[in-house]
Amino acid sequence: MIDVNDLHKSFKTKTGTVHAVSGVGFSACDGEITGLLGPNGAGKTTTLRMLYTLMGPDSGSIAVDGFSTVTQSFEVRRRLGVLPDARGVYKRLTARENIAYFGRLHGMREQDIAAGTARLAKALAMEDFLDRQCEGFSQGQRTKTAIARALIHDPKNVILDEPTNGLDVMTTRGLREFLLQLKAEGRCVIFSSHIMQEVAALCDRIVVIANGKVMANGSPDDIRTQTGEANLEEAFVKVIGSEEGLHA
Amino acid sequence: MNALITVIRKELLDLFRDKKTFYLSLLMGPLLFPALILGLGKLASNRISTQMEKPLELPVIGAENAPSLINYLAGRNVVIKPAPKNPEGEIAAQNVDVILSIPKAYAEQWRASEPAAVEIWHDSSRDDARIPVERLNNLLENYSRTTGALRLLSRGVSPMSNQAVRTDYKDLATPESRIGQALAFLPYLLILTGFLGGAALVIDATAGERERQSLEPLLATPAARGQIMSGKILAACAIGLFGLLLTLLSFKLSFMLAPSLGIKLSLSWLQVAKLLLVLVPIVLIGTSLLTAIAAGSKSVKEAQSYMSMLMMLPILPTIILMVNPMKNQLWQFAVPFLAQNQMILKIVRSENISALEWGVYLLCGFGLGAVLWLIAARRYHNEKLAISA
Repeated sequence: MIDVNDLHKSFKTKTGTVHAVSGVGFSACDGEITGLLGPNGAGKTTTLRMLYTLMGPDSGSIAVDGFSTVTQSFEVRRRLGVLPDARGVYKRLTARENIAYFGRLHGMREQDIAAGTARLAKALAMEDFLDRQCEGFSQGQRTKTAIARALIHDPKNVILDEPTNGLDVMTTRGLREFLLQLKAEGRCVIFSSHIMQEVAALCDRIVVIANGKVMANGSPDDIRTQTGEANLEEAFVKVIGSEEGLHA
Repeated sequence: MNALITVIRKELLDLFRDKKTFYLSLLMGPLLFPALILGLGKLASNRISTQMEKPLELPVIGAENAPSLINYLAGRNVVIKPAPKNPEGEIAAQNVDVILSIPKAYAEQWRASEPAAVEIWHDSSRDDARIPVERLNNLLENYSRTTGALRLLSRGVSPMSNQAVRTDYKDLATPESRIGQALAFLPYLLILTGFLGGAALVIDATAGERERQSLEPLLATPAARGQIMSGKILAACAIGLFGLLLTLLSFKLSFMLAPSLGIKLSLSWLQVAKLLLVLVPIVLIGTSLLTAIAAGSKSVKEAQSYMSMLMMLPILPTIILMVNPMKNQLWQFAVPFLAQNQMILKIVRSENISALEWGVYLLCGFGLGAVLWLIAARRYHNEKLAISA
C-alpha cells in the first residue's frame, strides 16, 4: 500500500528553477496495478525516485505500508522492489551473481537467495542465461536480470519505471503476464509508462501526469466517463490537453 | 556490517573478473620499479667507473711550451692529442670534454719561478664533462705541489712550512645511508603506488558505476549509503595494499639479485613490514580522496582529469627536499607526503624512528584519511549522486 500526498520537487538548473513535480498525489492499493501515464518529461521518474527514497520531496509526503520515505527510509526500502529508470547490471558478474548481490544487500540468507533466484528465473523465463556473464546481454535479458534483482527479497510493493522500454513484442507480452502474476499474489504494483495501450491493458487504476501535475486519476472506465470519450486514446489526449509525447 | 562485507566481496570479484585491468594495476609497479631503480643505479655506476678509469683524452694547445708537464700527464693515464683547429667549436659541439691551453709565456714564467699560467677550457653547464675536468684539475694541482715542494727543498726550506693547515675528511656515512642515497626515488615510487594504486577501482566503483547506471538500483536497496561507500573504499584499500606488498617484495627480490650488478642494496623483512605500515595511511588518504572526487564529478572522464594533478602531489616533497634539503624535524611527520617521504628514507637508511615520531605520523596520517572519508561520505549522501541521465 503506497500513499502519495501532494508532492513537490524542483531542481535548480543554469537556466532557472524547474518544477519537475508540483502537487502529485495518489494511492496505490495492494492487489492492484497502478499505472503512471504521461508524456516524456511529465515528472513520472522524479515522482518514483522520491518514492524509493533516492530523493527527498521539497514538500508533501509518501507512506509505504505506513512508513515515511523521509524519516523511515530504511523500512521503506526493505518493503520496496525497485526497477529504476537506470537499470545497469554488473556485466562482469553472471545474472545469478547480480541477483545474489542484491539479495545479500537485503540481508537475506544464502538458501533463501537460491530459492528466490530459482522462482524468479522460472517466472521470467531466464534459466538459459542465468549463469552467463551479463556482458553482451540483449536489452530483454538485461531488463529481466534487473527485475529479478529488484524482486529477490519478495517485496510487498513493486515499483517499475518504464519496464517495457526497448523490449520486443514477445518479451513485452511475457513481462505483462509477470505483472499480472505479481498482482494476483496480492502485491501493490506501480509502473510508469508513456505507452497508452499498455497502461490500458494492465492497470486497475490510472494516474495521468503531465507538467508535474495529476491530470486524471481513476479506473480506465472512470477516465472514459470523466472525459466523455469512448476511446481511451482520445480520452488521454483530452486529459493532457495535447498529443505531445504520447505514443499510441 | 553485512552490507559492508557484501560490497567488498562484490567489488573485488568484479575487478578480478576484469583480468586486464587487474593484472595491469597490480603487476605494472612490481615489474617496472625495480628495473627502473636498478637500471638507473647500474647506469650511473658504469658511467662513473668508465670516466674515472679509462685514459683521459686531452687535446693540448701549445704542448711544445711545457714538455715536462706533458710528460708528467702522459705518464698518468692521459692521452695527449694535438689541438683541434677550432677548440671553442669542438667543446660547444660536445666532441671534446676538456682542452688544456699552455700559453707561450709558460716557459719564461717557469724559469723565473713565477706561477706559470695554464688554462683549462671546458663548459661548466655540461654534466658529463664534470669528471674529466676534475681529473685534469687534480693532475695539474699534484704537479704544481710536487714541483713547488722540490723548489723549496732545493732552497733548503721544508715543504711542510708551506702548509699551515692540513684538512682530512672522515666520512661517517654508513653503508645503509649510502643505500638511501641510491634510492632517492624509492619514496616517490612507493608513495605514488600507495596513493593512486587503487585509482582504477575507486573511480570505476563510484563514477563508473554511476555512468553504467547501476548506482541508482544499488542505492535503492536497504543498505546504508555510508556502508556501500565504505565497502568500496575498503575494497580499493585492499587492492592498493596488495599492490604495495607485491612492489615491496619485488624490490626485496631484485635487491637480492643486485650484487651481481655491482650495486649493494638490501631490505630486511622488518623493513618491508615497517614500510607497509607507513604506507597504510597514504592508501586510505588516496582512496578516500578519489572517492570524494568521483562522487562529486559528473563522469569518469571528469574524475580522471584530476589524476595528472594528483600524481604531482607525491613528488612535491621529493623535489623540495632536492632543492632545499632539510633536517628531520617533528612537524615534518605531520605533513602528508613529506611525512611518508621522511619515514621511508629513515627506514631504508636503517635509522631509528622514535615512538613520538611514529605516533605523530600515524595519528596525522589516519586523521587526514578519516577526514577525507567523512567528506566522501557527505558527498555520497548528495541526492544528485545516483542520477546519471
